[in-house]
Amino acid sequence: MKRFMLSAAAALALVSTGAVAEEYPTKEIKGVIQWGAGGSTDTVMRSVTPHAEKALGGTIVMQNMTGGVGAIALNFVARGKADGYTLLMGAENPLLYKIMGLGKKDYTDFVPIVLLARGTPVLVARADAPYDDYAGMMAYIKKNPGALRMGATGPGGLPSVVTAMMTTVEGKLDVIAVPFDGDGPALTALQGGAIDVMPAVLGAAIEGIRAGKMKALAVFDVKPQPYLPKTPVITSFNKKYESFLPWGPFFGVFAPKGTPADVVAKLSAAYAEGIKHPDFVKLMEGRGFTIMGTSGKEAQEFLTKWQQNTAWLLHDAGLAKKSPEEFGIARPAK
Amino acid sequence: MDALMAFLTVFITPKLLLLSALGTFAGVYVGAIPGLSVTMAVSILISFTFSWDVYPAIALMIGIYMGGVYGGSRTAILLNIPGAPSAIATALDGYPMAKRGEAGEAIGVTTVMSFFGGLVGIAVLALAAPFISDFALKFQPRDYMLLAVLGILLVGSLSSGSLAKGVFAGAFGLVIGAVGLDPLTFTERFTFGFEALTGGISFIAVMIGMFGVSEALLQLHTVSAPVIRQKISRIVPSFSVIKKYLPLSLQTSSIGVIIGALPGTGGDIAALLAYDHAKRVTKNPEREFGDGAMEGLVAPETANNAAVGGAFIPMTTLGIPGDAVTAIMIGALFIHGLNPGPMLMIEKPDMFWFIVGSLVAANCFMLLFGLTGLRLFTKIVEMPKSVLFPLIMLLSVVGAYAVKNAITDVYWMLGFGVFGYFMRLYGYPLGPVILGVILSRLLDDNWRRAIISEREDLGRFFEGVVSSPLSLTLFVAVVLIFLSQIPFRATFRRLTRRRSNVKEG
Repeated sequence: MKRFMLSAAAALALVSTGAVAEEYPTKEIKGVIQWGAGGSTDTVMRSVTPHAEKALGGTIVMQNMTGGVGAIALNFVARGKADGYTLLMGAENPLLYKIMGLGKKDYTDFVPIVLLARGTPVLVARADAPYDDYAGMMAYIKKNPGALRMGATGPGGLPSVVTAMMTTVEGKLDVIAVPFDGDGPALTALQGGAIDVMPAVLGAAIEGIRAGKMKALAVFDVKPQPYLPKTPVITSFNKKYESFLPWGPFFGVFAPKGTPADVVAKLSAAYAEGIKHPDFVKLMEGRGFTIMGTSGKEAQEFLTKWQQNTAWLLHDAGLAKKSPEEFGIARPAK
Repeated sequence: MDALMAFLTVFITPKLLLLSALGTFAGVYVGAIPGLSVTMAVSILISFTFSWDVYPAIALMIGIYMGGVYGGSRTAILLNIPGAPSAIATALDGYPMAKRGEAGEAIGVTTVMSFFGGLVGIAVLALAAPFISDFALKFQPRDYMLLAVLGILLVGSLSSGSLAKGVFAGAFGLVIGAVGLDPLTFTERFTFGFEALTGGISFIAVMIGMFGVSEALLQLHTVSAPVIRQKISRIVPSFSVIKKYLPLSLQTSSIGVIIGALPGTGGDIAALLAYDHAKRVTKNPEREFGDGAMEGLVAPETANNAAVGGAFIPMTTLGIPGDAVTAIMIGALFIHGLNPGPMLMIEKPDMFWFIVGSLVAANCFMLLFGLTGLRLFTKIVEMPKSVLFPLIMLLSVVGAYAVKNAITDVYWMLGFGVFGYFMRLYGYPLGPVILGVILSRLLDDNWRRAIISEREDLGRFFEGVVSSPLSLTLFVAVVLIFLSQIPFRATFRRLTRRRSNVKEG
């Protein structure tokens, strides 16, 4: 009798776990957005998720949890249950937390559900700057050491990575780095003349460029951008940039490590459906983002490679607080 | 002609008009409840209105925004608990009026003046947006820093009684504002190694605690005292009253528009600066400031509603948010397939005129809802204290939690509530603490940006200040206000008297 009860209980347990994945989602899913309302991560997540919800047949309630450069949201989700009911909606920067001394966790504590889209960095200058392209700016810096003011957004941000590339390729640049609280405020300051040059993601600068409020000096990619066909790529000025490109920030949805594989697969499929929606495609194109839709092993590989490249780039440029080696981040193979 | 049509869209489409009314109505109540903020409401609406067309979504959001900025004054006047940061100054003179049973009059004047301020803001947006946004862009980090210093000098205006205690409270606020990861270098400050502190201390939690909880605790002293009956016979102020405050409200509305249009500052700072301005220019108020001066109500309320129109100026002309709410609305426009930026006004002028129209509609609804339904609101303060204050405590907890969905904020809120209670008991003003928290980042970040831009050279920094007319004006204003606050004559007299006393002795 006892044995029967046990096996019945075991069978029930098996059935019920099977049922969980099959019926998932049975309740509301919580999506924690790493950045504030109105920011680019927020916009991307809020525009794709409703389409994914339809494919999933469940509700995903999104909330913003800001602070600690996104580390607070990341740690919150990492601490939560790995049942697929709490997801992290984030950007690329957690991959740099460890070497920047901002936290002990990164995306290695997560399973990627989908990598949605990636951005392309572009170097912009204020409209009345006395140079029109990257070469002109470099000549200006050589002629006027310590005069050019370049916007920054803190260690690990896109400008710091672009600056690291520039230092590695061109040698030390004698410029003033003025830190801002995000690329939005920095681009505002650029239009007001408080800074001269700013490395920014294309999406944030594209409207300003289109209106002639700022000018694009170079696109940090190996091939020209469809949105800025006239702006030369950085490799056309210096071939050495090729080894670092293409590089760019990206957006992704993540679940804590240990989330059942079938739940992850279900979510991945839902998001794969969501990013196909014409409204989302149009939004991404309008902002100059390239849609990725990567998931599974491919996404894992992308993350690993991205982290290796960027972490070592920052380390070699002397911008990292800790060596990538400490965390087992291998130096990328040349 | 197209512009006119776009402007009128909201008025001639019943659905849009209804949404605008609904939004404004909800906004008044969201704004009135401390902790439920307009920013929060609008960001929830982003998901909610996702599948809607862009016009209804915008009409609803603008309604909430307009109503919410006004709604903050309600609880400030009735309960001494500002519903939103921009209503902090309103409590200073509004609550003393309510204590005399004049809440009806106070709310009436506040409503009409908020309407007037809102109108000025919208008018400037409609007629001079490109001009104002060009001006707002001219503000360099050093100008923001000088503006913050100007704000810090308000400590004098906000501390009744001991200035020294006010200065202490202000400095305390500055320190609270500095807690967390420094946004420029990501270095931890005052976190003592706690992860919960890296996100900083939520300024809303501090505000709810300091005003809400401490007020509730303070009221426990007189819990059995009879409640004050409110006279609500005279709600709509007479025309002569409005005429009397018209010159002042024009000045404070202008302050509101400009401060609102600056991308780094919003309605909260505008209201405080306007309050200070009113205190400075009003020579003989009928009642002293802090004791129920009507000017002390008019100034912040016109300014914070004028700041709404102001905040839309950089948003519509440049795609740059004027404050936190417009930042979210920019995100909403993106989601609805528009590309907010400098080209929006050129390529889609309809959108601009629709926004202006919605603002006008929301402003009118605000007047309507503000002047009606007052009876119900005043009933709230006439409730027995033993019911009302536990309710306030409950709302405070909910509000503090809702800010970031973090239980830590509730602890902060309660801690600051108890601390605020003791500060009040010992005669420390609370206004300067909030002022310090609001201005902390503005001051610190921009000072560092300014000095880094000049290669950390003070000489070059002052050269920059002197060579820019804008910076120079702000600098001179700082110096003059600082000097005007030093009681030279009294100090001199005291010194001479002391000297003569010594001689005599």
